[in-house]
Amino acid sequence: MKAFIQLVIANIKELLRDRMSMFWFIAFPIFFILLFGAIFSGSEDTTSFAVGVVQQDNGPIAKGLEAALTSAPVVKLHIGAQDAELAALRKGSRDLVIILPAGLSSAVRNRHRVKIPVYYDGTKQMSSQVGIPLVEQVLNQVEAQATGHPLLLEARPQAVQAVTLKEIDYLLPGILAMALMQLGLFSALRLVSLRERKILKRLGATPLPRGLLIISEVTVRLLLAMMQALLIVIIGRLVFGVTIVSSWYLVAAWVLLGACTFVSLGYMLVSFARTMESGQGIIQLVQFPMMFLAGTFFPISFIPGFLQPLVKAMPLTYLADALRQVITGNPPLFSIGADLGILLAWLAGSLFLGIRFFRWE
Amino acid sequence: MLDSLDLSTTPGADPAIEVRDLYKSYGAVRAVDGLSFSVPTGEIFGMLGPNGAGKSTTVEILIGLRQRDGGEVRVLGRDPKRHPTAIKRRIGVQLQITALYPRLTVQETVKLFASFFPKTLPVAKTIARVGLEEKAGDRVDRLSGGQAQRLSVALAMINDGDIIFLDEPTTGLDPQARRSLWDVILELKEAGKTVFLTTHYMDEAERLCDRVAVVDHGQIIAMGSPAKLIRDNFHEQALEFNQPALGNHVDLQTLPGVIRMQREGEITTLYTDQAPRTIAALMEASANANLPVSDMTVRQATLEDVFLKLTGRRIRE
Ligand SMILES: Nc1ncnc2c1ncn2[C@@H]1O[C@H](COP(=O)(O)OP(=O)(O)O)[C@@H](O)[C@H]1O
Ligand SMILES: [Mg+2]
Repeated sequence: MKAFIQLVIANIKELLRDRMSMFWFIAFPIFFILLFGAIFSGSEDTTSFAVGVVQQDNGPIAKGLEAALTSAPVVKLHIGAQDAELAALRKGSRDLVIILPAGLSSAVRNRHRVKIPVYYDGTKQMSSQVGIPLVEQVLNQVEAQATGHPLLLEARPQAVQAVTLKEIDYLLPGILAMALMQLGLFSALRLVSLRERKILKRLGATPLPRGLLIISEVTVRLLLAMMQALLIVIIGRLVFGVTIVSSWYLVAAWVLLGACTFVSLGYMLVSFARTMESGQGIIQLVQFPMMFLAGTFFPISFIPGFLQPLVKAMPLTYLADALRQVITGNPPLFSIGADLGILLAWLAGSLFLGIRFFRWE
Repeated sequence: MLDSLDLSTTPGADPAIEVRDLYKSYGAVRAVDGLSFSVPTGEIFGMLGPNGAGKSTTVEILIGLRQRDGGEVRVLGRDPKRHPTAIKRRIGVQLQITALYPRLTVQETVKLFASFFPKTLPVAKTIARVGLEEKAGDRVDRLSGGQAQRLSVALAMINDGDIIFLDEPTTGLDPQARRSLWDVILELKEAGKTVFLTTHYMDEAERLCDRVAVVDHGQIIAMGSPAKLIRDNFHEQALEFNQPALGNHVDLQTLPGVIRMQREGEITTLYTDQAPRTIAALMEASANANLPVSDMTVRQATLEDVFLKLTGRRIRE
């Protein structure tokens, strides 16, 4: 235990004193998120959301809805006749048109269900993914106030968070997955470097068990992975307003599993390498295709069919998918169970091969 | 098994190290080719030989870092092949290549290594013993060669082991740094440690070692105390003096002890196996003839001469 703690401390001190590594450790995720966040978030403007309202009721609840929509943060409200508003939608100057039908207020008060038609442009992703949930949210709120539901119900505004999908919501978990992959894969190189510098040999002349050395190395890498993940999530939140739809614990668990998988994979890969250079080469060879084919920057459905088997075999595909589900609530590509199973399989496989074939000298 | 090892050591005490018929090859290279020796407790034992003689390979087998191909090895009564961890707890090691974490400080490094052992000496005291107190806060990658080597010796001392293995501890150091390391090594002996040292410096072996095994091509070609090795191989000492005229008055070849005589210019060299008697007779002859001798020296053969005589090569090419 004493040895483990000292090894972890020594390892962290070594890292902190390595300016270059520290720079990349911090700069890499910031760079990627800011760069890609900026490129993609320009494509659809979410700040003003043009909503047309056709007021046919004018009762208190319908008026309340109108007021609530006006004060909704991203909405720019237009009130007009049905024909004019629908025409505006077709021209693209409205994102949504909401019809508040006559008799709405009295129906609600009598607890009858009312269907509120919401027209949107089917070709615009933003309208359906952001606009409709937004409207639903407003409707729920107003309804809750009008019918006097207890506060308990009001206090669960899940809908808006869950589905406010922007490009960054797709990108951020992917970038996090990619960062975990790189951190994990390259972490094993340190052991190769310790071997090359004969430090491993010197440690071998002490009673320190090899396993303890590896465990301390891996522990430090997992700590780093958690820190980097935290950094990415915080930047996402501060700069792009990305919020976590599930819990921090769940995200942390996936980050840990991802880091473990890629650290093990890294150890397995370098077990075939004799030198730092060859180790680096092998890792690059593996991480490069994953970086582009795992759906980090664009959905895997864009990737040609002959590459699909490769895409479906790569652990990064599944880690990115799982993180997208638990961080931003993207629709799943695979079930979360499939993501878990395949990552665990990779973890077990590489752990086994890495332990089996790593060369100590 | 152990009982059958009879390697003529100091009677009574169990030897710290026993090696018999040790073999190790790397492919076609026979790095260690049938070594047998025994190191009694408390001795500074030296392996003296040129590069590639098999010194490091021997050390690494003894400390459980490498597997031997054949032969018997006991370190502190145990086989390093079967009990590597138990042995590693009770020995201190300095490998030939000083390999440490470059960005840790001296103190952090010693503390780290101390954490690998159940029982250790105090960190600060150990650093002081090798004279690195002032460098305790300096990073390893900023140490000079001599300082790094001393740190490496400190790491070999930290667990207060019974045997300290030092593989070429002073190679590449300047004379002053070598001398201060010699003092540290002699202090280890005073503290009752057994020291297993390899070197390719003759003067180091002569100065430090109680016994030396001269090795070449993985084989021991001579073993014993430095003085005995020289005596065994060189019965004669060389008596040199400057007085060319003396030979005309006395037949120097007939002086007691003289085996051979050689004249080179002004200098006469008498090879003798009884130097004191030869000197006395020479002084008497010089007084009788009233021809005082000057520049008289008695030169001892060195281990270098031993190696040269045994192998026909100098130890450092
Ligand atoms: N790991 C190795 N692989 C192959 N040959 C080696 C290895 N280590 C040492 N040798 C060879 O074994 C011989 C003895 O080496 P070594 O024990 O290092 O000698 P020394 O320490 O006396 O210089 C040399 O010829 C060396 O080249
Ligand atoms: Mg050597």
